[in-house]
Amino acid sequence: MEASGYTTLTRQSGLMNELRVVANNIANAATTGYRQEGLIFSEYVKRIGDGASLSMAQGNIRNPSGIQGPLGQTGGRLDMAIEGDGYFLIETPAGERLTRAGNFTLSAVGDLVTPDGFRVLDAGGAPVFVPPDITDPGISPDGTLSDGDRPLAQIGIVRPIEGADLLREDGVMFRAEGGVAPAPEARILQGFLEASNVDPIGQIARMIEVQRAYEMGQSFLDAENERMMNALDTFTR
Amino acid sequence: MHALKIAATGMAAQQMRVETISNNLANMSTTGYNARRAEFADLHYQQLARAGTINAADGTVLPTGVQLGLGVRPSAISVDLAQGSLSATNGDLDLAIEGAGYLEVTLPSGQSAYTRDGALKRSAEGLIVNSEGFAVAPEITIPEDARSISINAEGEVFAFFQDEPEAQSIGQLNLAGFSNPKGLEAIGSNLFLETEASGAPNVTTAGQEGLGTLRQGYLEDSSVDPVREITELIEAQRGYEMNAKVITAADQMLSATTQVR
Repeated sequence: MEASGYTTLTRQSGLMNELRVVANNIANAATTGYRQEGLIFSEYVKRIGDGASLSMAQGNIRNPSGIQGPLGQTGGRLDMAIEGDGYFLIETPAGERLTRAGNFTLSAVGDLVTPDGFRVLDAGGAPVFVPPDITDPGISPDGTLSDGDRPLAQIGIVRPIEGADLLREDGVMFRAEGGVAPAPEARILQGFLEASNVDPIGQIARMIEVQRAYEMGQSFLDAENERMMNALDTFTR
Repeated sequence: MHALKIAATGMAAQQMRVETISNNLANMSTTGYNARRAEFADLHYQQLARAGTINAADGTVLPTGVQLGLGVRPSAISVDLAQGSLSATNGDLDLAIEGAGYLEVTLPSGQSAYTRDGALKRSAEGLIVNSEGFAVAPEITIPEDARSISINAEGEVFAFFQDEPEAQSIGQLNLAGFSNPKGLEAIGSNLFLETEASGAPNVTTAGQEGLGTLRQGYLEDSSVDPVREITELIEAQRGYEMNAKVITAADQMLSATTQVR
């Protein structure tokens, strides 16, 4: 096959991947604290023989969105949403993870945990403990968990150190490879949850675009196939 | 093709949301019912190009890489522990719990179950039982000749007798508190069982150790907020339709693929 076929093929497989990204965003449109993601295509230039070069499109760059998701009021005493740039710090068996999903509960022993049972850490990196006799804890915007005028713990809000990237993990968690730093400018809202920041209209529009681009690529491959058939016919006659 | 399966997980999630909402709406008038909320989390991510992979001989690394998600999964159905409003019934065995805590009843198996439904009754033998006929723990028997019953905020039960101006204490109702009430297992009939996640019950007098108090002659209404449920229902339905659209798009792309010869 000639290069034109391969060029289209890289584009087609990139579009397939992009549809997966769109499908994942739409599937997570109701996931608390989910961040939508896009795929960016980049040009991949291959030098061929004598002077000319071949340009291929490769969809290989993630583009996670950092837009604040809408805040929904739940009234839950242990439901928290972060306003601004920051993440809750979670302790998992595989190490510390970050999340924007603040739908926490208490464990049987009174630790603040995520729906998957991982412990939420305070500003100093220790688990947050809520004594069982406290039924109505208050949470201030800076993360101070208190019972009346008695402070109990300060919930840690962190952000990845500048330039370090976030890797996604299941359970709406992120892994910060380059370490984390406190995020004092972020504020916690008690009784609210941050909904998924997926923009459904944008995603559906992108999906249609991807589908049409894919069909265009296929009709190009179709035409290319026909051209080669004709050429073969002509040469072998 | 992954997009089909990813959209299918999305449809299943939205369907589960609709099921949770319909159960909440069905229980709009259930005494002591707390609304449930379906919560979701994303699934595992596939690494196509790892961030930090060396991209060129001079040590340039991929800044973001490609991670493809595999859809969504339900992470929890959490109970919204809001206090329902109280409605006056004037029944002498109707109790509402104001604040945290559960009444304890004994199941026929001898196991303890916990409930916020305080619509208590009197059995043929004079025992205080719940609507299902399960005895409240600790067992309290109302004497046959008692004229009326009074229960105070701390749960002490008094009986008034003919020709006696002073009420007599005939027992004490306790409340059970849990460190994680959201972890209780619902078994229907407004009853809950203790689980590993909820922790052991802390049975004590009402009004102590952060527990609520009792109010005689009132019942706690369902805490379902119909406006919120309906808006959630609309969201869930549209979400379902959008996932279905993704399936259609993926299907059409596949069909375009098969048309090339």
